[in-house]
Amino acid sequence: MRKFVWIGVLLTLVTLVGAVTLTFWTAPNPNQEAFWKPLVEQWNKEHPDVQIEWKTIPAAGSSEEAILTAIAAGQAPDICTNIFSGFAAQLIEEDVLVPFDEEFGKDFWVLVGARQMESVIEGWAYKGHHYVIPIYANPMLMWWRKDVLQELGYDKPPRTYSEVYELAKKYAVPGEKYAMIVLKGRNWWDRWFDFITFYYAASGGKAYIDVEKGKAVFNNEYGKKVAEFIYTMFKNKWTAVDWGAEFALNNLRALGSLMGPWSINWAKENYPDVYNNLWLAPPLVPDDYPTNAPIKTFADTKGLVMFKSCKHKKEAFEFIKWVFSNPQNDVKWIEKTKMPPARADLGTNPLFAKFMEEDPYFAAYASQVGNAVPPALITTTIDVQEAMTTFLTEPLMYLKATPEEALSKAVKEINKLLW
Amino acid sequence: MREALLGWQFSGVYLVYAAIFWGYPFVWLLILAFSRWRFFGKPKPIGFDNFVRLFQDPIFWRIFWNTMNFMAYFIPMVVLGAFLFALALSKVKYFRTFFTLSFLVANVSSGVAYSILFSNLFSETGPVNSFLYKTFGVTIPWFSDPQLALLSIAIIVTWKFIGYYGLILFAGMQAIPKSLYEAAELDGASKWTQFWRITVPLVNPALTTVLVFAINLTFGIFTEPYMITGGGPMRRTLTFLLHIYTTAFQRMNPSYAATLAIVTGALSYGCVILVRKLVEREVHLT
Repeated sequence: MRKFVWIGVLLTLVTLVGAVTLTFWTAPNPNQEAFWKPLVEQWNKEHPDVQIEWKTIPAAGSSEEAILTAIAAGQAPDICTNIFSGFAAQLIEEDVLVPFDEEFGKDFWVLVGARQMESVIEGWAYKGHHYVIPIYANPMLMWWRKDVLQELGYDKPPRTYSEVYELAKKYAVPGEKYAMIVLKGRNWWDRWFDFITFYYAASGGKAYIDVEKGKAVFNNEYGKKVAEFIYTMFKNKWTAVDWGAEFALNNLRALGSLMGPWSINWAKENYPDVYNNLWLAPPLVPDDYPTNAPIKTFADTKGLVMFKSCKHKKEAFEFIKWVFSNPQNDVKWIEKTKMPPARADLGTNPLFAKFMEEDPYFAAYASQVGNAVPPALITTTIDVQEAMTTFLTEPLMYLKATPEEALSKAVKEINKLLW
Repeated sequence: MREALLGWQFSGVYLVYAAIFWGYPFVWLLILAFSRWRFFGKPKPIGFDNFVRLFQDPIFWRIFWNTMNFMAYFIPMVVLGAFLFALALSKVKYFRTFFTLSFLVANVSSGVAYSILFSNLFSETGPVNSFLYKTFGVTIPWFSDPQLALLSIAIIVTWKFIGYYGLILFAGMQAIPKSLYEAAELDGASKWTQFWRITVPLVNPALTTVLVFAINLTFGIFTEPYMITGGGPMRRTLTFLLHIYTTAFQRMNPSYAATLAIVTGALSYGCVILVRKLVEREVHLT
């Protein structure tokens, strides 16, 4: 009897010592933690030989900062989520990421097919390779105050710039109330949620930066239309420079704004009046935009990467495959996070039908995943968008330059950065 | 011999501490400033390239002028305010500690907390602007006008430091012998003359201290613009520290950030030397 016990102990020791351990970091966000925790536990139970050590990205100024510090200290995780495009590009340039298509070949493409990611993944290619597996894609949509618009005689939200001008003439009183929030703020990332979204909508999803040539290309007819729209709104005082602490759709200082799906739960908790009186619509387009063409929008999207320092790449990829080739996991993801998974079949796959019916706001966002274009994959995202703020949106909002002047100055400055 | 050993033992603790927490980062800073490094691998030496780039960087010059502009607002405001505070304090007979502490509360409050407070208070829709709009029909774009934003931040920082600097000046004033004022009184000097001929010259050491502190502070402004304006509008509230931080941790360029840090340090040191040359005088109180 005693012999068996010893053999048992020995066997456990051998498996414990021989087991592969992978470190896996995810976003420090309670909803996402609620998704990953049971999943990782299940994997660890089913795979005693490959154990996942799961942690949220350590608290720091930003995820990027925490990951960089970890890499510099030689403590990088094996796989990590919450990577945005610009950061991915920086990491790729520094040659620390595993190109999935090269390392795993057919296996990678099988996974892409299984999760219906063919169209989604295109925007994530960097110099012909795939370093990132997109997890979720948040399209930007316009929120409009349904109740007030209906009082003003609208039966659907404005679609074009002119329709907003009309609305402004009816509603706006300078210093008191305005038609809509046009610019989202002064942070570099705010350009994703205003100028770039409007540009994608106006141009049918055309790139604002030619990544191959390293040139900004948004001083074309589409960029001009967007810049003119922004300028017109500020010039006529139909929008404001600063909105204060309270959500402007709540105190009715504004009737519309571009918003991401992450704001749904926030509005539900903090501004029930807004939440209960919303029309969700695609971003505004120029007047001559074809009525039947789909309207493109911006996708705020985050993905998963594998670091080259990972010693057990095959096992790590097995885990990734196990998570993302099972659509049930994306069902759980929606349940926990309310963010659309980066897959093209949300509207057609019966597994997701429940959410599409239950929650019209989620459905509105999910149905746009196919129309949502990710940002340009460049290493200088922050500088480029900071320059966009300083030379394009700020001169427009303070009426310091004409739309043409601002556009050509911004493109010139950004080209200096990309050079 | 034995005494020397004892001495080393005592100072050793400090030396080891300084070597780890001062020497090592300082050497690493110098290495970084002369190399290209992006968190991965070994720093690649590139000589003075970072410095050459820095002096051609329009953002660097923008920040340089912002800093000068900030000093032009902040130093007169804070020195005048602190002087008034110190004078008032020397006149107060009761509750002196209470008044001192009330002003020092600003100095010890959390930068993040009061930044949020001020940004809400003075926002376009905040209570201050609502009041102005209702009473006078105008609003003041405290943080959204490029020129005004810098002044607003200077006012906040002044609010924070009036009590502290005032206390330094107050201590300086208390050190001036009363007999000097009595003598002046006998000679028929007015209060005004006494202030300019006795108080101001003799408080010089305290004033120099305040100026040196204020200059160092100007080069180290971070929390307020980071929390309130994010460096905008039109980069007018971008500060050295803010730019160093975003360059190192968001733009992933710690070596260029190190260069910026060294130049910032040198600039602030230069300003301090200049002010001491211009202001500092030998003062004999006895």
